[in-house]
Amino acid sequence: MPQDARGGDNADQSSALIPFANPVFIWPEAMAKPTAARAQARTELYWTVPYVAVVVFAVAMLVLVWVLQRQETEIQRNAIARDVQWAEQTMRLHMQGTEEFLTQMARDLAAGSLDLDNFQLRANQHIANNPQLINLVWVEPGEVVRWSAPFDTTDWLAGDVLTSTQTVAFFRAREIGRPAYGDPYVNPRGEAVLELYIPVRHGRRFMGSMVAVYSIDQIVRHLVPSWFSEKYRLALIGPRGDTLAVNSSVQALDESVAYAIALDPPANGLMLRATAFRTVGAIPRALPTIMIIGLSVLMLWSLWLLRTHMRRRVHVEKERDRLFNLSLDILSILSADGTFRRCNPAFERLLGYPAVQMPGRPLLDFVHDDDIVATIEQLRLLGNGQPVSFENRVRCADGRYKWLVWSINPVLDEKLFYAVAHDITGRKATEEALRAESAFRRAMEESVVTGLRAIDLSGRIIYANPAFCRMVGLTADELVGATPPFPYWPEEDIPRCQHNLEITLAGQAPSSGFEMKVLRKSGERLDARFYLSPLIDGSGKQTGWMASVTDITEPKRVRAALEAAHKRFEAVLDGLDSAVFVADARNDEILYANRAFMALHGFDVVGRRARAVTQPQPELGDYRVDPRKLQPADVPMELFDDELRNPLSGHWYHVREQATRWVDGRVVRMGIATDITDRRQMEEMSRQQEERLQRTARLVTMGEMASTLAHELNQPLAAISNYAMGCVKRMESGDYRQDEVLAAMQKASFQAERAGKIIRRIRDFVRKSEPRRTAVPLDEVVDDALGFAEIDARKAAVRVRRDIAPKLPPVYADRIMIEQVLLNLVKNGIDAMGDTPDDCRVLTLSARVVREGLVEVSVADRGHGIRDEDAERLFTPFFTTKAEGMGMGLNICRSIIEFHDGRLWTEANPEGGTVFRFTLPVEIAGERNARSA
Amino acid sequence: MNGTPEAPEQIIYIVDDDEALRDSLVWLLESNRYRVAQFASAEAFLEAYHADMAGCIVLDVRMPGMSGLELYECLRERHATLPVVFITGHGDVPMAVSVLKKGAVDFIEKPFSDRDMLKLIEQCLATERESRSRVRQDAVVARRLDLLTQREMEVLELIIAGRLNKQIADDLGISIKTVEVHRARVMEKMEANSLAELVQSVMTCEAARGRFVD
Repeated sequence: MPQDARGGDNADQSSALIPFANPVFIWPEAMAKPTAARAQARTELYWTVPYVAVVVFAVAMLVLVWVLQRQETEIQRNAIARDVQWAEQTMRLHMQGTEEFLTQMARDLAAGSLDLDNFQLRANQHIANNPQLINLVWVEPGEVVRWSAPFDTTDWLAGDVLTSTQTVAFFRAREIGRPAYGDPYVNPRGEAVLELYIPVRHGRRFMGSMVAVYSIDQIVRHLVPSWFSEKYRLALIGPRGDTLAVNSSVQALDESVAYAIALDPPANGLMLRATAFRTVGAIPRALPTIMIIGLSVLMLWSLWLLRTHMRRRVHVEKERDRLFNLSLDILSILSADGTFRRCNPAFERLLGYPAVQMPGRPLLDFVHDDDIVATIEQLRLLGNGQPVSFENRVRCADGRYKWLVWSINPVLDEKLFYAVAHDITGRKATEEALRAESAFRRAMEESVVTGLRAIDLSGRIIYANPAFCRMVGLTADELVGATPPFPYWPEEDIPRCQHNLEITLAGQAPSSGFEMKVLRKSGERLDARFYLSPLIDGSGKQTGWMASVTDITEPKRVRAALEAAHKRFEAVLDGLDSAVFVADARNDEILYANRAFMALHGFDVVGRRARAVTQPQPELGDYRVDPRKLQPADVPMELFDDELRNPLSGHWYHVREQATRWVDGRVVRMGIATDITDRRQMEEMSRQQEERLQRTARLVTMGEMASTLAHELNQPLAAISNYAMGCVKRMESGDYRQDEVLAAMQKASFQAERAGKIIRRIRDFVRKSEPRRTAVPLDEVVDDALGFAEIDARKAAVRVRRDIAPKLPPVYADRIMIEQVLLNLVKNGIDAMGDTPDDCRVLTLSARVVREGLVEVSVADRGHGIRDEDAERLFTPFFTTKAEGMGMGLNICRSIIEFHDGRLWTEANPEGGTVFRFTLPVEIAGERNARSA
Repeated sequence: MNGTPEAPEQIIYIVDDDEALRDSLVWLLESNRYRVAQFASAEAFLEAYHADMAGCIVLDVRMPGMSGLELYECLRERHATLPVVFITGHGDVPMAVSVLKKGAVDFIEKPFSDRDMLKLIEQCLATERESRSRVRQDAVVARRLDLLTQREMEVLELIIAGRLNKQIADDLGISIKTVEVHRARVMEKMEANSLAELVQSVMTCEAARGRFVD
């Protein structure tokens, strides 16, 4: 069995590794050869031993059974011998008893003391006690029966002569003078009988013989106890070996257990033979043997079956092993804890680790760090009994990583995972390259803004890139496969498009391309330019035409829009009443003039010197900068902004000039002159009107002021009176201290001064009724105004915060008027805070320089604020939100401020309430303005 | 100038925000031997106020924060009986009327003469003194009335109603003798020497008057 030998060889090596059945794996040939012969012998031994063992076992068992049976037979034989001897002895004792009885009778007969009756009595009694006896007889010497008992016998009748057979025994008894047994015979009634002859002698006289006739049958039946006859068949066998009597013939006999013994007396060749009944059948006795043989055969048969099976199995496993070893994929068995149990040679080929060193090392040791988490997750799934399939990177012996796709099946019963891993590194790299390539191509296709469209030689669209799809508003699916007329051809243009397509297919498309309308899906039309080039495939054959398509709608639209814008621009400029011109800043050449300018200065001004034609225009010295020295980097810049009078016509113009960069990059000055003659006249009129109004208001305010101041005077006057009268009283009573009275007098004097100041304020106020502008320190004006408002503020529990910037330059203004404005605004603020919570009633008065030559004063309250609809009308005369107001205050205030070349306006206070602000020129700037006016 | 010996000393409380006026007023009044306390605002006075204050208040009508009128209202709510002299700027007639209607006050307009001021203050102090003594007497009578039993009270009521002893006996269904005993006990408890004195003391008492008039 050479195959078995090979298989066995592998079995002992791999059994430690492969836990199931009796696995047989074949190692590579090189490893198997040296041990092959030895292993073959061992396998043969393995297979012989069970066979031999089975045979030896069977033989041993058979011998054992035989020995046991022999022993048992021996025991039985001993028992039978003993029993038979015992039975023979019993019979002998009985027969000897009968012998003695007859000998006694013979003696009595010889002595003549025995008569017939006595004979009969004794003989019958004896027969009754010994059922084996049939007859007791006295045979006379003449061989004739004289007496016979029992008396009813028919066999032995008086006068019967002995038969010859009987005579032998009769005479032998006469000769030897002792009892003699005759040969057994069968009497006429068919009964086997045995006769005992006892000679009767009286002296020398022979008087016949006493004969006892035994029934042999009865001997066998009655001289042994019943237990004997149950165990054995007892037979009397005659001298010639014929069976004379048996006690039973019913049961089967075990001839092997029999015993014969000579019966003595009569010692005439009679044998007593006992044969044991068969206690168990023949088959049960043979059963162990049969079973042993049967089982042995069965075992041998099963061994043979097993061997056949093994051989088949070995064959299969050998094939599997070849597959295992020759597999290009890694095959391995993992323990439930993730360590390798076994790996095939592909493991070494792919990863470089010797497969034999792998057992016991965990899979995770080889997995790329980034894949460990995923791998652990997969192992966990395996642990739950789920087969898994996944990809990961595994480190090779040389440190590189390889992509493996694993397919692992768990066998939970064995706590093992069977893993197959396929190297997909190459595939991965290819995939990656392919993906990069396709991504690059897609990116390129999608980033190209030029539409690309290919048609085959029959004019069918075979390709359209995303840009083209976007252009026509159709998807690539809708386009590819379309045949002329294409869906993006506008209906009205189909003949022209068809014509262009025919030219293209004929290869006569112009290199400048076609300009065609394209219909978008939404219905709008695009202008597009198609450039055509032949489409050549890899084999150099032309397969169609490629068109690159550019959307030229936008450029066209821009061009049109520019033209329109230009026209609008000209229309606007020409429509202006103001005269507009543009002149080169250096050489003063007029580059542009609008219609109004030309109407004033002639329609041929363009190209002439601006200075020569324009009237009025600023002197060179009046420009902020000399326009001739301007560099392109300095512009745009305002050059001049003022009102000028044309000395010839007497018209006033608002002239504004600005340096800017012309379309060709050179510096130009652009001038706009607007006729403001009418506006100036109106302004003048309204100014005079307001001045009149203001004078009226001043009188009204003065009246109020006087009343307030009079009230204010009460305070110091009452105090003075009190002090004075107190002093008088004390001095009258004479009970006073001088220092007390002195202090009171001083206090009275202070109050008198206070009263004096109030009166002076009234006087100043009244006296300065005509506006007189001088340099006024603003902080003093503020203090005065606050002094007047103090009473009102106190009454309304308003705190006044004063926030005047230090070193404020004096303003050029009429002191009283500005004071009045301030007072008015402060009072307004105080009134506005009537409903404000006490702690918020704060009025802030501040002043600061906002830019050179201009001071800004603000009055901020935290009151109810001004509603939007009121804000517009705030400064109109007779508008008021106060119940008792005249509605003149703010209007007058604005007039005063504007009279001072300032501005008055309101803003909402970020903290709530309203801020009034006005500006005033500082002294120097104001003087100049006044002069110029 | 001083009050009755057992009465607390009267003080003039000046409440005015104008320091000069307040100081000068203090000077004037002290020169006239009055005791003066000064407060710069109505709030300061309210904080210092207690029911045992005696004297009068000189109060400026217009003050930042709580005005003089508001302070007056406040004091009335606290049942203060101190008389008040208001100092006002130029005559605010409607205001003066409304305040005068409310009770024991006077007005003086700035600038005022010292004579007017002193006269007003003296009047006020006298009024206050009188009302305080009346209150004290009322308390005595009320205390005595509390000593009377129910029956004695009934008898007293009938006496004040002007009934004779006989009539009283009939009204109450008791004997004249008994009425006489009650009457004597009433006289004794009320510490009255005569019938007239009894009736007067009971009728002047604010607390008792309400009980007996109807």
